[in-house]
Amino acid sequence: MNIRCARPSDLMNMQHCNLLCLPENYQMKYYFYHGLSWPQLSYVAEDEKGHIVGYVLAKMEEDGEDNRHGHITSLAVKRSHRRLGLAQKLMNQASLAMVECFQAKYVSLHVRKSNRAALNLYTNSLGFKILEIEPKYYADGEDAYSMMRDLSAFAADNKSEQSENLEIKSESAIVSQC
Amino acid sequence: MPPSNSLPPKENALFKRILRCYEHKQYKNGLKFAKQILSNPKFAEHGETLAMKGLTLNCLGRKEEAYDYVRRGLRNDLKSPVCWHVYGLLQRSDKKYDEAIKCYRNALKWEKENIQILRDLSLLQIQMRDLEGYKDTRYQLFMLRPTQRASWIGFAMSYHLLGDYEMANSILDAFRTNQMKGPYDYEHSELLLYQNMVLAESGQYERALQHLQKFQSQILDKLSVKETSGEYYLKLKRFKEAEGVYEDLLKRNPENVMYYHKLIEAKQLSDADEKVAFFDVYKKEFPKAIAPRRLQLTEAQAQPVFERLVDQYLRQGLHKGVPPLFVDLRSLYADQSKAETIEKLILQYIENLSKSCTFSSEPDEGKQPASALLWAYYYAAQHFDYKKDTDRALHYIDAAIEHTPTLIELFIVKGRIYKHAGDPVLAYKWLEEAQSMDTADRYVNSKCARYMLRAGHVKRAEEMCAKFTREGVPATENLNEMQCMWFQTEAAATYQRLQQWGEALKKAHEVDRHFSEIMEDQFDFHSYCMRKMTLRSYVGLLRLEDVLRSHPFYFRCARVAIQVYLRLYTQPLQDIPQTTEPDTG
Repeated sequence: MNIRCARPSDLMNMQHCNLLCLPENYQMKYYFYHGLSWPQLSYVAEDEKGHIVGYVLAKMEEDGEDNRHGHITSLAVKRSHRRLGLAQKLMNQASLAMVECFQAKYVSLHVRKSNRAALNLYTNSLGFKILEIEPKYYADGEDAYSMMRDLSAFAADNKSEQSENLEIKSESAIVSQC
Repeated sequence: MPPSNSLPPKENALFKRILRCYEHKQYKNGLKFAKQILSNPKFAEHGETLAMKGLTLNCLGRKEEAYDYVRRGLRNDLKSPVCWHVYGLLQRSDKKYDEAIKCYRNALKWEKENIQILRDLSLLQIQMRDLEGYKDTRYQLFMLRPTQRASWIGFAMSYHLLGDYEMANSILDAFRTNQMKGPYDYEHSELLLYQNMVLAESGQYERALQHLQKFQSQILDKLSVKETSGEYYLKLKRFKEAEGVYEDLLKRNPENVMYYHKLIEAKQLSDADEKVAFFDVYKKEFPKAIAPRRLQLTEAQAQPVFERLVDQYLRQGLHKGVPPLFVDLRSLYADQSKAETIEKLILQYIENLSKSCTFSSEPDEGKQPASALLWAYYYAAQHFDYKKDTDRALHYIDAAIEHTPTLIELFIVKGRIYKHAGDPVLAYKWLEEAQSMDTADRYVNSKCARYMLRAGHVKRAEEMCAKFTREGVPATENLNEMQCMWFQTEAAATYQRLQQWGEALKKAHEVDRHFSEIMEDQFDFHSYCMRKMTLRSYVGLLRLEDVLRSHPFYFRCARVAIQVYLRLYTQPLQDIPQTTEPDTG
C-alpha cells in the first residue's frame, strides 16, 4: 500500500471509495472544492494497481486567525484493507500538512455515536478528545460526537520529523464518517 | 453622441434599477421596473429593456419566454452590447457555450473594453479550451486592469497553457516583483510553486531547481519543495543530493512507495541483492512501516532470499491477524516460483499450527495465538481460489468458518470463491450471509449488491443498496443523485445481459450525464482558483477534465451503450409484441 498526497485525478476515485464504504456521500464538486482549496490536505492509500483503498478528505476552517484549524470531512478505509494502520497514517500526514501550510492549531471531526471502531481509533490511537455531542447531526437523526485533536506536537516538531511520538499504538479497524 | 435608442432620464433610472435588481437577485422587482418602461408605448420595443426582462424571466425559470424577450430585444437593437451580452448570458445558462462565445464577441464589437464581458468571455474560452482566444482575452484584461492580481495570473496562465513557458514565467516574475508585496502567506507560497511548475514543464530543471532553492524559505508547502527538488536532482543526475532529499521524505512518510523507488534510482542500485540489503536498512529505520518490508519481497530473488523473507512476513501477518495479507501479497504471484514458495509455507504453517500451535516444528518456537490457524486457513482459501483450485479453496474456507463462525471476512471470501467458480447465485447468497452479520457496514452491503447484480437480480440489489440511501426516495434516485457510478455501471451491464435494452441504455446515459456534470463542475473553479492561487491544482483539474471520459466507469458504460445500439440496429425491436399464429392446421 502506498500513502501519498491526493491529486485532482484521484478525486473521482476517492468519491468511489466513499460510496462503497460510507453512508455520507458527496457530489464530485465537493471533492473538487476540497482538492482545489486545500490541495495539501487530502491523502490517499492506493494498492499496487493504483486503486484507492482509503482516503482522508480534509479542509481548513478559517474562522479567524486565532482559531485556524483543520477539519476532517471524510475518512474511509475499505474493509478489505483494515488493520494495516492506514487510517492513522493518512490522518497523521493530513495533520502535518495542516500545521505546515495553514498553521492549524488543532483538527476537528465528527463521528457517529454508534461508530465504536472509529471512536476507538480517534481517542486511543490519534489523541482526539470529545468536545461535545451534536444532537441529530446526521441526516438519519443520529447524534455525532464533535471531536478535536491538538496539533501543537506537530508544530513543535515541525522541523525534525515527528514520527515517534505520534506512532501507531493500536491497529484498530475503522470506517468512519466525520 | 448618445445612441439613438437611449432612454430619457426617468426611464434610464428605471433601467438601472432593473440591472441592480438582477445583480441582487430581486427578479420580481426587476420585472416590475421593466413593465414600467415597456408599458409606455414610446418604449414598448426598447431593446435593452426587453433583453433584461428576458434575462430576469430566465432566472425565474421561465426559459421559453426568456428567449422570446431576449431575441426580440436584440432584434430591436442589434448594435447594443447589452443585448448581445444578455443573449450570451442566456445561452451560457443553457450551457450552449459556443453560442454564448459568439454573443460575447458581438457585444465586444460595440463595446471593446467592457471588463465584465471580457471576463465572462474568458471563462467560456477556458471552459471550451479555446486557448488562443483565452490568451487574447486575458491580454486585453491585463491591459485594461494592470493593477489587478487576477489580470496577471490569467495572462500568465494563458501562455502556460499554450506551452509558451518563457512568456508565462516572465509575466509571473514581473508580477511577483511588482505586485506581491505583503506577507509571505499561503497564496504567495502557491504562486511560487506554480511558477516553479511552469519552469519544470519547460524542461529547464536546472533553472527550476535554482528557483526553488532561492525561494524555499517563502514556501509553506514543504512536501512539494522536497518532492520536486528530488525530481530535479534525479533529472540532473545529481544523485547524492537526490539521496538526501528522498531520505528526508521517507522520514516524513515511510509508507510512500515512490520515495523508495526514487531513492534506489538515486543510489543507482540495480542488483536484486543490493536492493534487498537497501530495504533491510529501512526496515530497521522504520520498524512499524509496512512498505519497506513489502517492497523487499518484490525485489528478492525467489530462492533462497525470498523464502526467508516471506516466511517472516507471513508469520508476522498471521500472528497479528492482518486480514489483507493475501491481497497485499497477491501481486507476487506473477512469479510462479514465489507463489509456490508461499504455498509450501502456508501448508506447513497449517500443519504445524493444527498440531502444536506453532508455525514450525522447531522446539524453541513459542505458542501462537489460536487465531493464527484461522488466518492461515483464510490465507490458504484465497491462495487456492487465486489458483482456480475451487475444491481446495472451499476446503480451507470451510475449515476457517468452522474454526470461527462469526468472522464476516470468511463469508465474503466464500462468496468470491463461488463467483470465480462461475456460480453467481451461490456467490451472492454467501455475501448476503456476510451482510446480515454486520448491517451497519456499507462496504459489505455494496459488495453484496454488486454480487446480486452479477447474478442478474437488479431489484434485489436496489433493495440492498436502499439500506444506505436516503429514506423517502427510491434507492436508484438517491444513487443517481450521489453519482454512484459503480452501481449504475454494473446495473447497465446486468440489464444488457438480461436483454433489457432500454434499461441498459438508461443506466449508461445516467453515467454519461454524470460525466457531463463533472465537466460542468470546472466552470466555477476558473475564477475561484485564481483568487485562491491554487494554480497547480487548477492546472491539474484542467488536465483531468481534458481526459475525463477515459475513466473506466465511462469506458464500461460506453461499451454497453455501443453494443446495445448496434444490436438494436441489426435487430430492431418489433413494434408489436410477437404473438404466435393460431394453429390453423
